[in-house]
Amino acid sequence: MSQTVTRYHALFESIRSRRRRPPNHRGLDLAAAYVGMRLRHRRVSLSWLRDQAQRVDGLAKDLKTHSDAALNEVVRETREAFVRGRVDDEMVRRAFAAVREVGRRETGEEAYIVQIMGAMSLYHGRIVEMLTGEGKTLTGSLAAPILAWRNRYLHVFTVNDYLAQRDAESRRVIYKRCLCEVGAIVQAMDESERFGVYARSIVYGTPKQITADWLRDQLRLNASLGNGGQLNNAWTGRKLLARAGEAGSPLSAHAAQGPMIPGLRACLVDEADAVLIDEGVVPLIIARARREDEMGAIYKEASELARRLDAKADYTIDQLRRRSELTRRGRHRVEEMASHMQAPLWRATRRAHELVRQALVAQHCYTHGHQYQIVDGRVVIVDEYTGRFLPDRSWEHGLHQAVEAKEGLAVTADRETLARMSFQRFFRMYPVLCGMTGTAADAAVEMEKVYERPVTVIPTNRPLIREAWPARAFRTSDGRWNAVVESIQQVHAQRRPLLVGTRSIEASELLSARLTARGLPHRVLNANFDKDEAELIAMAGKHSTITVATNMAGRGTDIKLDREAKEAGGLHVVLTEMHSAKRIDRQFIGRAGRQGDPGSSQVFVSCEDELVKLHARRLIAAVRGQTPSTPAQDEIKGGSRRRALAVFRLAQRRAEARGRRSRAEVLKQDDWIEKNLPGW
Amino acid sequence: MQERPTFSPFWHRVRAMKPRLRPHVDITRQHYRGRRWHVVHDPTSNQFYRLNPIAHDFVCSLDGSRTIEEAWNLALTKFGDAAPTQNEIIQLISQLYSANLLSVDASPETEQLLRRGRDRTRRKIASQAIGIMYFKIRLFNPDRLLAWCEPVLRPILNKWGFLLWLAFVVTTATQLFPHWQKLKDSFQDLTNPQNLLLVPVAYAVIKAIHEFGHGIICKRFGGQVPEFGVMLLVLLPSPYVDASATWAFPSRWKRMAVGAGGMIFELFTASCCGLAWLYGDLSPTWKQLAFNAMVTASVSTVLFNANPLMRFDGYYILSDLLEVPNLQQRSQKMLYHLAQRFIYRLKNLTPPSTQAGEQAILVTYGVLSGAYRIFLFITITLYVLGLFFALGLVLAVWTAAAWFIIPIGKFIHWNAASPQLSEHRGRAVLTSVAIVALLAVGFGAIPLPDRRRGVGVVESAARSGVFFDADGFVVAVHKRPGEEVRRGDPIVTLENEELVQQRRGIEAQRRAFGVQFRDGLEKQPALAEVAREKMAIADENLAEIDERLAALVVRAPHDGRVVSGDPEQRLGAYVRRGEQLCEVVDCTNLRVAAALDQRQSGWLFPPAADDQPEPPRKFSIAQVRPLSNLNHIFEATEVQPVEAGQRRLPSPAMGFAGGGTVETDSSDRSGVLSKRPMFTVRMELLPEADGQDLSAILTPGERVRVRFSLEPRPLLAQWIDRLRKEVQGRVKL
Repeated sequence: MSQTVTRYHALFESIRSRRRRPPNHRGLDLAAAYVGMRLRHRRVSLSWLRDQAQRVDGLAKDLKTHSDAALNEVVRETREAFVRGRVDDEMVRRAFAAVREVGRRETGEEAYIVQIMGAMSLYHGRIVEMLTGEGKTLTGSLAAPILAWRNRYLHVFTVNDYLAQRDAESRRVIYKRCLCEVGAIVQAMDESERFGVYARSIVYGTPKQITADWLRDQLRLNASLGNGGQLNNAWTGRKLLARAGEAGSPLSAHAAQGPMIPGLRACLVDEADAVLIDEGVVPLIIARARREDEMGAIYKEASELARRLDAKADYTIDQLRRRSELTRRGRHRVEEMASHMQAPLWRATRRAHELVRQALVAQHCYTHGHQYQIVDGRVVIVDEYTGRFLPDRSWEHGLHQAVEAKEGLAVTADRETLARMSFQRFFRMYPVLCGMTGTAADAAVEMEKVYERPVTVIPTNRPLIREAWPARAFRTSDGRWNAVVESIQQVHAQRRPLLVGTRSIEASELLSARLTARGLPHRVLNANFDKDEAELIAMAGKHSTITVATNMAGRGTDIKLDREAKEAGGLHVVLTEMHSAKRIDRQFIGRAGRQGDPGSSQVFVSCEDELVKLHARRLIAAVRGQTPSTPAQDEIKGGSRRRALAVFRLAQRRAEARGRRSRAEVLKQDDWIEKNLPGW
Repeated sequence: MQERPTFSPFWHRVRAMKPRLRPHVDITRQHYRGRRWHVVHDPTSNQFYRLNPIAHDFVCSLDGSRTIEEAWNLALTKFGDAAPTQNEIIQLISQLYSANLLSVDASPETEQLLRRGRDRTRRKIASQAIGIMYFKIRLFNPDRLLAWCEPVLRPILNKWGFLLWLAFVVTTATQLFPHWQKLKDSFQDLTNPQNLLLVPVAYAVIKAIHEFGHGIICKRFGGQVPEFGVMLLVLLPSPYVDASATWAFPSRWKRMAVGAGGMIFELFTASCCGLAWLYGDLSPTWKQLAFNAMVTASVSTVLFNANPLMRFDGYYILSDLLEVPNLQQRSQKMLYHLAQRFIYRLKNLTPPSTQAGEQAILVTYGVLSGAYRIFLFITITLYVLGLFFALGLVLAVWTAAAWFIIPIGKFIHWNAASPQLSEHRGRAVLTSVAIVALLAVGFGAIPLPDRRRGVGVVESAARSGVFFDADGFVVAVHKRPGEEVRRGDPIVTLENEELVQQRRGIEAQRRAFGVQFRDGLEKQPALAEVAREKMAIADENLAEIDERLAALVVRAPHDGRVVSGDPEQRLGAYVRRGEQLCEVVDCTNLRVAAALDQRQSGWLFPPAADDQPEPPRKFSIAQVRPLSNLNHIFEATEVQPVEAGQRRLPSPAMGFAGGGTVETDSSDRSGVLSKRPMFTVRMELLPEADGQDLSAILTPGERVRVRFSLEPRPLLAQWIDRLRKEVQGRVKL
């Protein structure tokens, strides 16, 4: 059964969605909303879910005896009920039983009880925590058709294009039999293709793609009514379409077609914590290059000027907030130097200071191999959380240009924002939101506050037998790397596969050099080698393989062990640094011990890590004590080790809190803008 | 210096807009402390917005055909560094837009408009709920009425009219001043039951006139007055008008005139009523009404309207006079700013004012109004508690929430979550904890002298009335009140001619009997016997008369001082035997009797431990200050409660009726019955250290202030104790 999307319908839905602005509660309202949310969701407890899942299991046993035609009839009937909105618990159970049976017949995978539980809590609008390797894909495909029946459109968000396409393809048979059309949005698609895909009831895609399409839709809608135009109601929308349809209409052809996305109805987010929390506030920006731009020379001059200033005497750097401040002397020097510059902009003191400060930030807070990488003479941002390149992103307000000037590259034109939206705001527009992740419990409070979605932790199907080896702490970074290499060598000798996580591209390359020096064969997976990603991941599970990876390997990668590797003791994950959130560490460690496989993990930290330097500077200095005279004394042992690790955990908690606060701040800002400015 | 980043991430939201001010919006210039400001005013909705000159220039360059980006670029070339940043422009646009002063080319989304309306209503309700002490009820639009009256009054609504008014009020005041005593006497009647109905009438009329005054002057200078209503000020209804159009007046004198308009009209009315009360030939009811009106008008004007520490007329006048707009809010912000800067040592703060003079004003006002607010809270709460306990309690809790608990909550929230503190939260929290600890120690742990006050009278150990012992005319007065007498000293001398005559008659008779007796001895012994008896009787009579004659000189019964009753007033008067002349008190041995309200004097007894009623405490120290001479302080010892639960006061001088501070039962004519049970405490006075004679300063019967010093206790404990006593007396548990 296919769905036809009329232009008018799409327009109507689109406007309706953009009007949906859930309030940002504060103070007592927040507490009330929280209590209300808990009350609404109180029914869906773990025991209730288990009970429901067992009943579904019972129903599915009956369905196994049905003929294909009979099963199709059951599916058709339940779908009908969902489309009409006449649903009770009984009907929900029947639907899950039917979809499970369809899945079994089409792909041969039969969902476990825990997977049914997960799927049911998805259906009830929750964020589900299932440990890595517990079959999230299957769980999602169990809930997706039912959500699509109920809400007409379902967007399924995946981590990357590859996964979107792969999942859409591998699940197509199930969805088809469940009378749902499925499609995937990928980067390479052009607009007319996208129209077709968005009309389907289940759409796979990355958050970036779908959010960008949504923003483009909105921009077009605005543009088709003139500057900052508004669509007040469906009636003007109808008129607009009529006008666009007239011959010689000035409105764009796309406006005539209506928006691509026919409204935001329901979504299922894979890796929900990454999308909703970590990347939640990174705004997606649609920008265009400014036409008149002679700023290139100015950025270079500013960069040069900043280089001539003296640290401490002229400026101070706040690494934590990535800000710089000029001292009184610095301000005078900048003014003095600026007076020799040609460009009239240097006459404006405030702007000159700002440019120099920005240049200082670019020079001291942004480093090659950490925040960015130079690829083909261009500055490419490296994503902090995934370790991947973000080729079409750039920093705003001249920071990107300042970094380019610092690196001596050609300065690109500053870009002008046309529209921006944070995922946080985007996902709040969905009336039905659910998600899955391996690590949600750590961010549960935030999910509950910002998205009003409670978190359910689904038990594992098979017990987890991953061992966590005691973490080791070192005084110097050098000592840590030595120990890491030592440890890698030992584990490697047992013919176990190894996955070594580093925080930055630079670190991965440093480690690689050390391993090479020791003669240890290894592969490096970072944004520079992202072409080989699939191959590297496929190889990583082989016995005696050493893979050094940035966070790229942290999410959504399924490392399959071969027989020999399993016998040797499974994958060993080494984390060479702690991340700014515990969740990210857990994700990375979660690569080991999947689906009941054996595995182990170990964390190495050093007192020179950025995490503690930024968030617990004094405490770590106290724990660290004197710089050791011999390398052997570098490791912190005994009681000090416990204290040092406690400091690391504290620093991590502080970093998490800082992230939380800044996200709350962004939400507040967004909300303020929504409330106080006209237009969209 | 606050850092002002040029760019805003939200610029795209406003960049392409082509807004303009709504066509009917006026802009007026105002000057504050030598700086130019522009007030944007929408007369239909009475919304205001104040712009600085640069912002004003920017807003004026928005003509509906320029985009905001173009206007901004224009401002950048014009003002350079001083030009507003993107963030500032977004702020400006959003505020103008929210105040409905800006029309945007894009018609706003209905949803957004509706939500804004809802938010506004909600805020209004919330502020009403918080300010339950200032509850407003809107009645009607008085604009047309004022528009009709204004031309009539216009000839006098100017400088000359004001001078005339001033002359009139001053004259009336001078006229009334000599009748101060009469005024005071009438004031007693204000609390009479039959007057209770007249007071509200006078109050309502006067306040209506007051508001009319504001309205008419506002109208006179071209402002609109769209609202008249009733505000429940601490449950006391009082009318109000919305004269906020005044804020757009360019001249501060005009703004002040509107602020003062109410008081001008009210004082004028008060003066008229005063004259009517003084000279008018009115029936008693009307006279009373005039008096009520005069008192209400003048007292309320002076106490409330003119008081700049409350947000009434005086505040707005002061604000305009000092040229400090938003005085209250900004002074509060200034205090916060100082605390943040000097206690919390935060950097990069923007002070609410950068001018030194203005800062000084803000700080002074902030401190004063804060202190006044606390004072007001306590007095109003106690007052209402006294009237209606339950209501008072609700009101107290509510106001405490609005004035104290919410700020405390905000303070905690600021400590916990303010982005300002993200750098030094630890330090800031420590500072806060230190402040709280300091306060807690200061109020809760450091014992401070605990003093309780009472009213007392000086008593003497020996006090006796001096009575006339004979009838007669007072012919000479030897002693005046206050003079020392020794026992037997004459005080007054009477003359009784009748007595003298009588004595002469009897003397004559006696002489006659004497002759008879002598004759009888010679002639008839029996007759002599009779005559002798008669002589004896006459002698007796003589002796009696002599005694009465001697009693014509009234003498002091013992050493002491003449008090109460001036013998000189009797000079020439005929007095009868048994009438009281005066009293003589022994001044060498003085003591003080004090009466304390029973419910407040729990401290007389130590806390009852183990159900064992303890004997009353003895105080070693109490201090006594005579009201006649407050410079003298006497120490008193041996403080002993003598009577408990009595309603009879030691002296009528302590009660209301005698001019004292103890509330007396108004149905009792003697004035010594108090309304509530009292404790009577007696104490002995110590002679003064410098050897001065007590009796030279203290007069028995005189009222004194008594201050008891208890053991030092922390202030908090003292307050709780007092509050408990205060509440105990009012609730019947």
